[in-house]
Amino acid sequence: MSGQALVHVVVSGLATGCIYALVALSLVIVYNATRAVNFAQGEMLMVSAFVAWSAQRAAGLPLPVALLCGVAAGGVLAFLVERAIIRPALSATHWDVLIITLGLSLMLRAAAGIVWTNEELPFPSLFSNHPVAVGPVRLAPVSLGVIGASLALMAALVALFRATRFGRAMRAVAQNQNAARLMGISVERVYSGSWLLAAVVGGVAGVLIAPVTFLSTKMGLIAINGFTAAVLGGFGSLPGAVVGGMLLGVIENLAPLYLPTGIRYSVPFLVMIGILVARPRGLFGQLERRKV
Amino acid sequence: MALAAWGLGAVAALAWPLLAPPYFVFLATLVAVNAVVAIGLNLLSGYTNQLSFGHAGFLAIGAYTAAILTLRAPALPVPLTLLAAGLVTGLVGLALGIPCLRLDGLYLAMATLAFGFVVTEGITNLDALTHGNDGLRVPLARLGPWTLATDGSRYYLALAVAAAMILAALNVAGTRTGRAFLAIRTSEIAAQASGVNAAAYKTVAFVLSAFYTGVAGGLFAFVVGFLSPDAFDVFLSVDFLVMIILGGLGSVWGAVAGAAVVTVLNDSLAGLQTYRPLIFGAILIACMLFVPGGLAAMTRRQS
Repeated sequence: MSGQALVHVVVSGLATGCIYALVALSLVIVYNATRAVNFAQGEMLMVSAFVAWSAQRAAGLPLPVALLCGVAAGGVLAFLVERAIIRPALSATHWDVLIITLGLSLMLRAAAGIVWTNEELPFPSLFSNHPVAVGPVRLAPVSLGVIGASLALMAALVALFRATRFGRAMRAVAQNQNAARLMGISVERVYSGSWLLAAVVGGVAGVLIAPVTFLSTKMGLIAINGFTAAVLGGFGSLPGAVVGGMLLGVIENLAPLYLPTGIRYSVPFLVMIGILVARPRGLFGQLERRKV
Repeated sequence: MALAAWGLGAVAALAWPLLAPPYFVFLATLVAVNAVVAIGLNLLSGYTNQLSFGHAGFLAIGAYTAAILTLRAPALPVPLTLLAAGLVTGLVGLALGIPCLRLDGLYLAMATLAFGFVVTEGITNLDALTHGNDGLRVPLARLGPWTLATDGSRYYLALAVAAAMILAALNVAGTRTGRAFLAIRTSEIAAQASGVNAAAYKTVAFVLSAFYTGVAGGLFAFVVGFLSPDAFDVFLSVDFLVMIILGGLGSVWGAVAGAAVVTVLNDSLAGLQTYRPLIFGAILIACMLFVPGGLAAMTRRQS
């Protein structure tokens, strides 16, 4: 294959990878705070995308404002869900929360089908369709836009975790919940904040991917790829989630060129099984010591 | 008193095809099939605390094994076909279980989820064996001189298999293996410290669970008569989880009750497909928040 085509495939892989990375980040943010995985993360980002669509279509808002509305709606939904059904179950085993979020994902998907539609809808994009020339290669503006927006959001997250009180509180809770509590950090506020932040990050991923994959109640399944990305990087590691996402996106885009069509769609799952078997703690993960 | 109730239940189960219209006989057969899956999943999730999102994949392997065997060797009696379906699925379970043993909890759940997707992809693409997306018509089951052509005959087959599997599962709980399972459930680390080889017993649980589901898959093939990969998607795996969570993790009769409720609910909501996940999701959340032990715990509290 020519070098230019390869660059094209890698760049669009990186764009997909950025989306996976954002979804992985949102899963890891919730996991670090509460040690629970939110199975409904994918459905929450689906709700964000649907709300954005409605805001643009029904309310006639300009596209950027509509996208912000969608992301904000995801945040509000996450905040309410966390207070209403997650917090009461947090003291129990992590299975309870996992199963509750599984139930939530079923409910959100069904509700979206009832409120909106079970059909696939086209979703407006911020970026044009005409390829632009970057040096000798022509690239899709969608890819570049997705990569740019994702990197900007990741930079904002780094700033949040490094420089703000709340970010430091989140990192403290991730390290040791009891110690954080003894230092006067409100662990409950970190729970709320983490769910909200995760929904916002996921919501951005949702409105960025919707123009590419179409808007549908099934788009929540992207959370599986997000999870694979997070595992690839080492579940619990934020830089790992980003690297894992990019890696998965590129692998997924390159694999069809070298593999028979039959196993093309299984690639993310085979990657997940492979990484779990070979190195369960991922690229950047640390082994967690468990006690009785 | 309890004996009388059991006797009455047994008589009702045996007389069901004589009393109920054919469709309800078919439904009861599905309940029996799903009960075997639920018991199998429960051996894994209820007893050793490992959640699986891949049991639809195991069911598919059992179903396709039974269907292909019957197509290639039509004279094979049903019990052997079912046994073969169980063994093949158990072997796949072993192959998946050994590497997955190093994973706990969440990672195992995700690995099984991925496994489920790989199985349906595989079935779609193994055209020569499975006819891919066109689906596979399953020949009638044969038992010596008889072909099981009526709903009633298939009901008795499923009932007999389910009864045997229920008995076996009840007995597992009383054996050394069963006690090891329960110890692992209570605390894997404490169990290991007490000399329970957690890794070995978790593999046993995984293989047993796959075997149960494979046998159920064989039954499923004969009961439904037509197989296609999209019938075994991840949402079916979720249905199985709803069964054991509603029934109560770790209880054999709970799994049977959960399978019955979910199967009947699934059927009565057939016209309301869009509302079905809404109701199942609500069941999961309500069980976790309000009745953690499921149906099994509710009856226990009353007695």
